[in-house]
Amino acid sequence: MTPLLEARGLNKSYGQLRANDDVSFSILPGEIVGIVGENGAGKSTLVKMLGGALAPDSGEILISGAAVGLHSPADAQKAGISLVHQHFNLIEDLSVEENLVLGRPELRHGVLSFKDLRPDFQAVADDLGTHIAFDARVSTLSVGGRQQVELIRALFHDPRLLILDEPTAVLPPNERDRLLRFIRLLKSRGTATILISHKLDDLYDCCDRAVVMRGGRVVGTSDLRADDRPGLIRLIVGAELPPPDTRHGTRGAPLVSVRDLVIHRGNGTVAVDHGTFDLHAGEIVGLCGVEGNGQTELLHALAGMWPIHAGDITYSIGEAPLRNADAAALRRAGVAHIPEDRLHYGIVTAFSLTLNWLLRKLGDTRFAVWGWLWRQAATKATAGAIKDNDVRASGPRARMGDLSGGNQQKFVIARELGDDAAVILAGHPTRGLDIRTVVAIRNRLVAERAKGVAILLLSADLSEVWDIADRIMVMARGRLRGPVPVGETTLAEIGHWMTTP
Amino acid sequence: MMDALFITALLAATIRLGMAIGLAAIGEAASERSGIFNIGIEGVMLSGAFVAAWGSVRTGSPWLGVVFAMLIGLILAGIHAFMVLGLGIDQFVSGIGMVIFGLGFSSFTARLTIGAKPTSVHGLPSLDFGAISHVPIIGPVLFAQSPLAYIALALAVATGWVLNRTALGLEIRACGENAEVAETLAIPVKRRQTACILFGGVTAGLGGAYLSVVQVNAFVENMVAGRGFLAVACVMLGRRRPLAAFLAALGFGLAEAFQIRLQTLYPDLPYQFLVILPYIAAIAALVIGHVRRGPKMA
Amino acid sequence: MSDGLTRLVRVGVVLFVAALVPSLFVVIAGHNPWRVFTTLVLYAFGPQGWSEVLVHAIPLTLIGLGVAFALRAGLFNIGSDGQLIAGAVLAVFFAPYFEGWGIAGLIVFLAIGAIGGGLLGAFVGYLRAWFGASEIIVTIMLNYVMIQMISYLIRGPMQETSRFWPQSYLIPDDCVLPVIVPGTRLHAGVFVALVMVIVAAIVQRRTVLGFQASVLGANPGAAAYAGFHVKRLTLVIMAISGAFAGLAGAVEVGGIYQRLQDNMSEGFGLAGIAVALIARLEAAAIPFAACLFGIFFAGAGALQRELALPFPLVWIIEASVIFAVAALQWAVPSRKAAAA
Repeated sequence: MTPLLEARGLNKSYGQLRANDDVSFSILPGEIVGIVGENGAGKSTLVKMLGGALAPDSGEILISGAAVGLHSPADAQKAGISLVHQHFNLIEDLSVEENLVLGRPELRHGVLSFKDLRPDFQAVADDLGTHIAFDARVSTLSVGGRQQVELIRALFHDPRLLILDEPTAVLPPNERDRLLRFIRLLKSRGTATILISHKLDDLYDCCDRAVVMRGGRVVGTSDLRADDRPGLIRLIVGAELPPPDTRHGTRGAPLVSVRDLVIHRGNGTVAVDHGTFDLHAGEIVGLCGVEGNGQTELLHALAGMWPIHAGDITYSIGEAPLRNADAAALRRAGVAHIPEDRLHYGIVTAFSLTLNWLLRKLGDTRFAVWGWLWRQAATKATAGAIKDNDVRASGPRARMGDLSGGNQQKFVIARELGDDAAVILAGHPTRGLDIRTVVAIRNRLVAERAKGVAILLLSADLSEVWDIADRIMVMARGRLRGPVPVGETTLAEIGHWMTTP
Repeated sequence: MMDALFITALLAATIRLGMAIGLAAIGEAASERSGIFNIGIEGVMLSGAFVAAWGSVRTGSPWLGVVFAMLIGLILAGIHAFMVLGLGIDQFVSGIGMVIFGLGFSSFTARLTIGAKPTSVHGLPSLDFGAISHVPIIGPVLFAQSPLAYIALALAVATGWVLNRTALGLEIRACGENAEVAETLAIPVKRRQTACILFGGVTAGLGGAYLSVVQVNAFVENMVAGRGFLAVACVMLGRRRPLAAFLAALGFGLAEAFQIRLQTLYPDLPYQFLVILPYIAAIAALVIGHVRRGPKMA
Repeated sequence: MSDGLTRLVRVGVVLFVAALVPSLFVVIAGHNPWRVFTTLVLYAFGPQGWSEVLVHAIPLTLIGLGVAFALRAGLFNIGSDGQLIAGAVLAVFFAPYFEGWGIAGLIVFLAIGAIGGGLLGAFVGYLRAWFGASEIIVTIMLNYVMIQMISYLIRGPMQETSRFWPQSYLIPDDCVLPVIVPGTRLHAGVFVALVMVIVAAIVQRRTVLGFQASVLGANPGAAAYAGFHVKRLTLVIMAISGAFAGLAGAVEVGGIYQRLQDNMSEGFGLAGIAVALIARLEAAAIPFAACLFGIFFAGAGALQRELALPFPLVWIIEASVIFAVAALQWAVPSRKAAAA
């Protein structure tokens, strides 16, 4: 049988970096193939080439045996390929149907009549088994809802091949199951699917076979038998990783007390609805939830970056307790904050590393006194931090934007944890990073816990939280459940909490 | 004071005085909706005002002057589009350059051609609707305006309709909301934005023409006097909707008309305090409207 | 084409077009562009002109410093004209009290000028920070308001004693900035400008406030993360920006006019923005950009007198320079990290 799609020897380089190195694989009609690899393995580059957004430096792509040039997303669509990106291509302030029309160039003509188009959209939505208000603004939809819109858009013209890039990354367990069931339904209709993921469970639960990528290359395939699993993990991860730090902390006094906290978003809706919990020294509390349920706002409020509508946040670190303090005061008191959104909050890409260092050190009299900056001291301290934390950069004068994501994050962590922090607020600290950095960061957090630091770990990766957290909290629609000790609950229960407020 | 005659005159003046701002605001609303803003429309309006006056004097036809004004608006907007979209220059920088150029171009060329003193210019004839224009209040207010005013209203409605009801308008709005995503959706972002910027230039030129060829029937140096910036404020207040921005412009027309009448009613009050009314109104409107700053700078 | 050659060609094109546009208008006026250029240069560097260049460069430097300071924080202050007037008015208002104070009077006079402009700037900053009102619009509106206000004051409460001319009373001699080169208009304000350049440069690079301002402009989210009080910071930055313009107002009164009158600003606000942009917002570069524009202003006056070239040519030249400098950033892109 001729493969529906075959990639032969695809190469793509960005300057020195070989993102894709002689990548070849094929997929038969109706097959479900998983492409698995850690962050940085080259999966997204491959996806971009298959979707027509990027042209390979060399190599070919064959559709049903014939070589095609995919020079634009339109070409890919014409070839029967539909792609759903990891980061949705949706315009927040427009409605669902406006986004649907925008996603299909052939519909963008003349005067628009949504009334006429709706029956067609509805047909696809019914097929998916989803209920969506077509005139609702995308900004009002949950993450799962937005993915549904992307899927409707992708399925609108019966593609032969559906490519999904990290679709389960933001879904709670039950919605993930529903998506995987739908993919198998598509298979029964003859639609092939390429599922890109870094999670093994996605593959085992849904795919026919897997292609493993590492370092830009295809390093192996698997028929996904149960006993294959350890071998598969070795293929994905490659050489030996540093062993995980498994020390436990001893739970001490409560350092952070949150009582009846109410936080509002900029648009007036309630993000945190009467939250109450304590964070103790020497423990890691995991904060889980589907994206958009108030976790970001909670973290920002804890970090002193967002106004409190009602309730209290009290930090008992030094002699005097700090109540509802601002970010600068908290920083001086020893509260470290690794922001979820590094680019928009944590760093200034146009600045040098030294200036990024100073960003959170203005309360330190070594670097700023009476409004005056001691730049030489800051430069020296930055140089030391870069060396001690394995940050790959040319020096303290290097431009932050020139560093890789992993090194930027290592810098942020070096800056935040360097001065004996007493409390760490960590927002998705390992998201999008390569496996080596992920392990290093996790080990660092465990080491800090052993020192008696209180850590709040916001993470979308349930398994990561499960591995290192002592207690778990779940947020759903702004309401907090827990914290409960990890031993007294199950993954299934947590998943259930994530979807029921 | 508040008799029918006063109100009639006030309302008629409102439309007349707000029209120049309104015209410019329509196009600027479209431009900002597509994501690009042009702080330089003050300069475009000045250029349009001068070119229309010059054209009217030279050819004897005020309509030709209006056409010239539209052309100069097109050219200047084209330069702005080239700078911002082609060369990647900051929108604010290009806009400021345009303001300064408009000041220089209009004054310099005016002194060389139609004279440094205010020159009287053939104005556009008002339309005659016959009997309707004699109906009390409504007649003089709505049916005795310059043809440009009716064109302006039609333009405001039409622009809003295009933005909301057509595929082109949807694509334009997408460009303004999230240009990156629009790009991935295969929308020709730069082409759409250029079209909107050019449209903004044409209406700004029209607005300037209105000043010299309809409202004042003369060209005076610096005669736009901040109306271009008021147009940008109108777009902010109207949340980038052409019709709403147009109505906001009429609001400023009302403030201006009111201020002028107050001057005659209270001759003892220093006129300067009344002249500033429209400007104060703009500040107050922005504060009350709690309007967030305009579209993100390049 | 090699990378270096491409850049050279691009720079050449930019400079050529930038020179072409004003030349075109000169030709329309019936003159030879080269002759105009040489007249300009000879005047600006000649015995009559050089002092006039500096006289214009003084307020341009001060205003440019203020505009640059705000622009670094992402705030667009187009209201320097209005802030200049506010500073001049407040300083002249209190000036009679400083009769007999000597140099202390001058210093207080200048300080009050700064305060006047600062108050107006603070008002704009307040509206922007607490109400989200665009400072672009508010500052421009206030420009027109201030022009009317000074028009009223010099014809009314602050008018000169004979009550005939539209200008204010004279300021006492103590508040006058003395001429430092006899036979010219060049006054001690040039020292004030130079001192402020140094102060601005130090604040920019070495103080927490300067750092906070650049963070605010580069990444407002990072400013919140770092714990800056963004609202307060916005107000302070706009106040300081206005204070520079207000100081310029007091300097102009003290050095040139010795009283209030109409048209004191003659477009310095917009030119100040151009100066700031050309200096790439670096305090140390601003005096040089200001001198360049001083050459344009002083020169345009000379061109009008000698060649009957209308003065607004200076705006055409200014616009061309703004576009040229911006286009040069396209021609020769640099990705230097903000000063390490």
